[in-house]
Amino acid sequence: MKILNKITLGLAFVMGLASCESLDVEPTGFYSEDNFYKTVEDAEASLLYAYDALTLTSYAPVTYYLTELGSDNCIVKSDEGADAQAFVNWEVTSQNELLTQYYRCAYIAINRANAVIENVEGRGFNEEDEKRLLGEAYFLRAYNHFNVVRAFGLAPLQTSLIDQMDETTAPLADNMQVVYSFLIDDLTKAVDYLEVNRVTGRADKVAAQALLAEVYLFAASAKESGVSKYDVLTESVDNLYAKAAEYAGYVLNDQSEYAHDNSLQDIYDVNKPDGSEHIFILSMDRSGTSEGDYSKLSKYFIPWIAGGTIYLKNTDDSFSPTHDGWSVFQTTSALISNYEVTDNRRTQLFVSEIYDASNNLTGTVADGTIPYEFTRKYIDTEFSGDKTSTRPYLIRYSEVQLIYAEATADANGLEQYNSIRRRAGVSELADLSGLSKDDFRTLVIEERQRELAYEGDRLWDLRRKNIVQDKVTQAAGLSPEEVSFYPIPQRELDLNPNIN
Amino acid sequence: MLCCFLSLTTHANAQSQSVSGVVSDESGVSIPGVSVVEKGTQNGTVTNIDGEFTLKVVSKNAIVVFSFVGYKTVEFQADVNQNMNISLEEETLGLEEVVVVGYGSVKKSDLTGSVSSVKMDVVPMKPSNSIDGLLQGQSAGVQVVSSSDDPGEGATIRIRGGSSYRSGNEPLVVVDGFPIGNAGDIKQISPSDIESMEILKDASSTAIYGSRGANGVIMITTKKGSKNSTEITVSQQNTISEFTSDLNLWRDPVLMAGLSNESRINGGYVPLYIGANDPNGVYYPSVSELKSGSWKYNTRWDDVVFRTPVSNNTNVAIRSQNEKTQFSLSTTYFTDEGVYIEDNYEKLNANLNIIHKVYDKLTVGTNVIFSKGERNNNGGLAYWRNPIFPVYNDNDASKGYYMVGTQDYSHPIALTENKSNTTEFQDFLGSAFAEAQILPSLSLKSQVNYQSRRSTTDFYNPKVYTEDGAFNNGAGGIDNWESNEIVAETFMTFNKTFNEVHNLNAMGGFSYRYKKDRSSSLRAYDFLNESLRSGNLSSGNPEKQSVDNALSEEVMYSVMGRLNYVYDSKYMATVTMRADASSKFGENNQWGYFPSGALGWKMHHEDFIKDLEIFDELKLRTSYGISGNQEPIGAYLINSQYGEDQYYVNGSWQTAIGPGYVGRWDSQTGKKLWSGIPNPDLKWETTRQFNVGVDMAFLNRRLRVVVDYYNKYTDDLLRERWLSPSSAYDLMWVNGGEIKNQGVEVTIDGDIINKKDWKVSGTLIFSKNKNEVMSLGDELAFGLSEDPNNGMKYEFNGSTVEAFRAVPNILGIGEAVNVFYGRKVDGIIQTTQEGLAAGLEGKEAQPGEFKYVDINEDGVVDENDRTVIGDPNPDFTASLNLQVSYKNFDLAMFFNGSFGQDIFNTKAFSEPSNQPLRWTQDNTTNDYPSLREGRSLYMSDWYIQEGSYVRLQNVSLGYNIPDLGVSWFKRGRIYMNATNLFTITDFDGYDPELGSDGIYWGGYPKLRKWTLGVELTF
Repeated sequence: MKILNKITLGLAFVMGLASCESLDVEPTGFYSEDNFYKTVEDAEASLLYAYDALTLTSYAPVTYYLTELGSDNCIVKSDEGADAQAFVNWEVTSQNELLTQYYRCAYIAINRANAVIENVEGRGFNEEDEKRLLGEAYFLRAYNHFNVVRAFGLAPLQTSLIDQMDETTAPLADNMQVVYSFLIDDLTKAVDYLEVNRVTGRADKVAAQALLAEVYLFAASAKESGVSKYDVLTESVDNLYAKAAEYAGYVLNDQSEYAHDNSLQDIYDVNKPDGSEHIFILSMDRSGTSEGDYSKLSKYFIPWIAGGTIYLKNTDDSFSPTHDGWSVFQTTSALISNYEVTDNRRTQLFVSEIYDASNNLTGTVADGTIPYEFTRKYIDTEFSGDKTSTRPYLIRYSEVQLIYAEATADANGLEQYNSIRRRAGVSELADLSGLSKDDFRTLVIEERQRELAYEGDRLWDLRRKNIVQDKVTQAAGLSPEEVSFYPIPQRELDLNPNIN
Repeated sequence: MLCCFLSLTTHANAQSQSVSGVVSDESGVSIPGVSVVEKGTQNGTVTNIDGEFTLKVVSKNAIVVFSFVGYKTVEFQADVNQNMNISLEEETLGLEEVVVVGYGSVKKSDLTGSVSSVKMDVVPMKPSNSIDGLLQGQSAGVQVVSSSDDPGEGATIRIRGGSSYRSGNEPLVVVDGFPIGNAGDIKQISPSDIESMEILKDASSTAIYGSRGANGVIMITTKKGSKNSTEITVSQQNTISEFTSDLNLWRDPVLMAGLSNESRINGGYVPLYIGANDPNGVYYPSVSELKSGSWKYNTRWDDVVFRTPVSNNTNVAIRSQNEKTQFSLSTTYFTDEGVYIEDNYEKLNANLNIIHKVYDKLTVGTNVIFSKGERNNNGGLAYWRNPIFPVYNDNDASKGYYMVGTQDYSHPIALTENKSNTTEFQDFLGSAFAEAQILPSLSLKSQVNYQSRRSTTDFYNPKVYTEDGAFNNGAGGIDNWESNEIVAETFMTFNKTFNEVHNLNAMGGFSYRYKKDRSSSLRAYDFLNESLRSGNLSSGNPEKQSVDNALSEEVMYSVMGRLNYVYDSKYMATVTMRADASSKFGENNQWGYFPSGALGWKMHHEDFIKDLEIFDELKLRTSYGISGNQEPIGAYLINSQYGEDQYYVNGSWQTAIGPGYVGRWDSQTGKKLWSGIPNPDLKWETTRQFNVGVDMAFLNRRLRVVVDYYNKYTDDLLRERWLSPSSAYDLMWVNGGEIKNQGVEVTIDGDIINKKDWKVSGTLIFSKNKNEVMSLGDELAFGLSEDPNNGMKYEFNGSTVEAFRAVPNILGIGEAVNVFYGRKVDGIIQTTQEGLAAGLEGKEAQPGEFKYVDINEDGVVDENDRTVIGDPNPDFTASLNLQVSYKNFDLAMFFNGSFGQDIFNTKAFSEPSNQPLRWTQDNTTNDYPSLREGRSLYMSDWYIQEGSYVRLQNVSLGYNIPDLGVSWFKRGRIYMNATNLFTITDFDGYDPELGSDGIYWGGYPKLRKWTLGVELTF
């Protein structure tokens, strides 16, 4: 081979080509490990790539198929694909493509976070930048792992960047204790490293505290309710609740950047992503050029009306335009009936009448023009075609209030609980007399359904409280395991010899 | 003449004597440049422009040798006493034919490999805008499928079956020594400029092209200077096309509406045709309205959308040759109309070829091809639109388009008049060579080839009528692509006969290839004023513009050599070796070696064969060798590569970069598929091929038979493997899998009648190829599925058919490539009990449903009841060329057939022709199911149909204009040609000629083309 090389080079020299090119072609069209992570700006861009994974079209919208369709909040339109129907009917198999997409995207986000972690530590950036970058990366790694754990139970924990073939077959986590230690560890680091620093679309210290509280609460209630596999958690239920309360408490008491927003309208105003409630909100904008950069979330929730612009009546009797939708997620009457008739969240946040440009009523749910009452949480009045800025609400201040209420289940918690009810215009609970902690926590879960409807939480609540089968008739007859976890996708089982 | 004679006499008196005369061809036209040599000496000359020569000869009894390329070499006794009028006979097809092989040429009789040669002057004049169409049916083992009638569209060419799983099965095309690319898209070469094509099929022939030769090689030789004085050829072709059959569209709205209502009611949906608005606000008349005629519209959308396309092909060529220079300039102007209105294509090709003898021993030449063209893309219009809707409101063009609802993006006239999509391309191909005869037996040739290709696509999607435009308030863009490639090659050829029996021909050389592709795209949205379209993209909203660009480079070094040895014109051996180093592959596999060897034995030169007095030729050939394929993959797969996107932070878009990039989009679901794990072990696919063949000629060579058997084994197949989703990646390129192709090719040529006025000849070609998937790589790594019933490992291959939510084709170990996989159907369920008993449940057990077979007999019909249900590969293909000529008239007919392949007819129950045959309570047929909207369709053998066909592909009738006796007119020809005249088949759809996956998607019928042409030479 050497000789042949020499012959080639010799002959090439004759042609005067010897110095022209070597066989190594330097890629100039893309970044790679050879030319990236040189500066803080590179690392910053890499972190944004991790956030960007959350906007993937097979992740952000798919979240609602898992968390809302599987719950008692909604059903799916009848001609949506079989994979979507399966969530409603609790017939989700390992072949379910939506499930695979969700799983895959969570790990794409995790890998991008790991790339930051691996390439920032020890690069000699200044400490402030390094801590911020690492803190957000740890937060994202935990956030996505938490999604996987809530959806699938025991799954691989990716602790380092995967960029070689032999790294692609991680085993499942050993047990839930390992999983939660890992999540808590990452989030504790994130809380440590981060400062309070609000940037729309990014996470800060408060987001990390809130997520950690949520993780503790999930662990506490799941262990308490006897959810499959959670019995191995070493920490006691009470301690877990206490931890949840502690971290939720930091959010409620130790910072002033985020706060309870008294206006329901403002919380869901698409032009106010920096509203006081939004501790962590996904950033998408209608000016984007491809889906994911802009959002089509509204299309999933709004029903198909006539393929044109419809107008919604606002609380101040003005009207706001929106496109109509695809009728994918259809509100069940069970959800509506869980609200009191005068609940602001029902009267202001559900639409049952539509108007035309001249403010004439053109249809109602009652007359059949609108197939179901639809949520106003995802409406962009400045929509352009299908493009909107409607964003998934990832962590809201109100949710932390309810976490705190549920975790403490005491008078302090009651205060937070009442704050939510006050805004909704429904009766407050004077005190906890006659209510066990358990009773109160049940009330909080009910409140969570009303407050957090269509924000991607309901199924997780049903699961951690082990009440899926109480609330969703289609889940009857399933094993505790089947109720608590979706199956690991078949493609993972097929391709990963370390899992089966 | 007297002068000559006198001078001769004078010379005769001197000791040296002269012979002189005129050399002409058989028709009496003088030939300049003929070499005239006194045998056994260095003493020689060439004929002048009038074919005259004068040669001083040493001996009075000298033998004079006359030789000229393309003519038989003749020897005459010198006759100093009178003028020698020599007539050279053109070298006819047959034993002394020379064929082009890689880096040289050999006498056809000395070939050891399997090479088919197609001389264009014997191919009946076929209207074709590219070389692809010309190849059809010309050579055994070459499969040409033209599944698209789009203007300017190429064809799919396979030599001896596909040997790769993925794309990259196209043979390499080499034009005058320049490997320009893959077959299927060679639009720069005008068919009228082609002199001959050689198809290298076995490994002994293709291995000289190493890592690019595995799919076979098509060698094209273009026409050079004419053999005589200056010739001007003008040819003109006009073609008019029509559909081969009527369109299968709804003509009776009453029937259509009735069946639609029936189907929706059966599916539990509100029927559409009830005289009310649908949810989209579109009024659908009731069946009775349609019946009574009160609904007055019944639009024939196909008449609106389609036209009778006309194409034009004009070629003017000037060719000339003298002792020193060969010159050829050819220009072609081609316009082609698609069958859709405004769907047009035009191109202009110019080809300049000059070869010049600088000195006796040094020849230089250049070939320059320039091609430019334009495509106005207006295909895919909605000829299938609902006939109850008019084209215009109230059928009045002044009242505007009739749109179906507010989101109607398929109005064909609205799109034609408002949307734009135009592609312009320019290709430049240039090559230059110098060839030096260093010694009589040793020559050196150096050739540098360069090609530069570019295209620009402009499009604009207006605010109304298009989805893209409506969503973005107008969307426009420009896509640029350019590709530059240099191939520099130098090789030496040594050719010498030792002791009169040992002929040695050796070639050795090297090659360097560099290729660079660049692309960029500009997008703008949200236009204030639409009148400039993509002409001024910056007039779109400045915040919504986007740019994108890419670049890729490839480098390859190669060394190659070949040794041909012929002993006594009887025994032949060829050894070939090529080594390639490619930048596409990693450190570990950068060099690849491609050796081959072949043996031949001309048995007809042996006495024991001669004594049989049967064979005029009997030659045995066998070869074995290795060649490679690196086409399926792009550059940089051995490198780490990050992806890029943008994220909206604090009110502005910011660049995001990190691991994982979008390798491609899933063609059906549109989902991003992520890549990013490099594979440093990547290497080319390797094909080992064994070939054995025999060439026979009988009855004074009037009957010629060539038979070849081959066995091709390809391993290390380049393919994308899936990765576990927890790895954060979807796909990576690896080598894995093996495939086998074996087959027999038979070509029978016969001159049936060969008289002065009457000639009848025929060629029958038979090819049989059988392929088999031998391995799909590691089962786990590739995520293979397993058939639960017979344990067959398989994976799905190709695209999803949306209506069936299934990929119909699989690669199954032990099966042919792309067999169909699905359920079996045993008629239609007639009673619910019957359905339940068959293992079906729910709606699927109702009367009128498909009765799927419970293959594994477990009492339930489910996904485990799938099996191999069909094979899209033909058992064999055959073609027959018949040529008849009588005096100046000639007639050629070309039949083409393909036998035994299956077709997955996705339209078997969704067309106006078959829907009325549905099962109903009153028509309890066992052939068709009931109509039921929302039925889940499963891939099943009910949709598999036999696809065998025989087609009269081409008929051509020509008249050669006789000698008019005028000096300015040399020859001429007028002809008529018809393609696709008729097809005999049992297949239900429009046409059974399909891609290799055998999936029939419907669409519209094939075209039948009528051509009138004339070719005049002055």
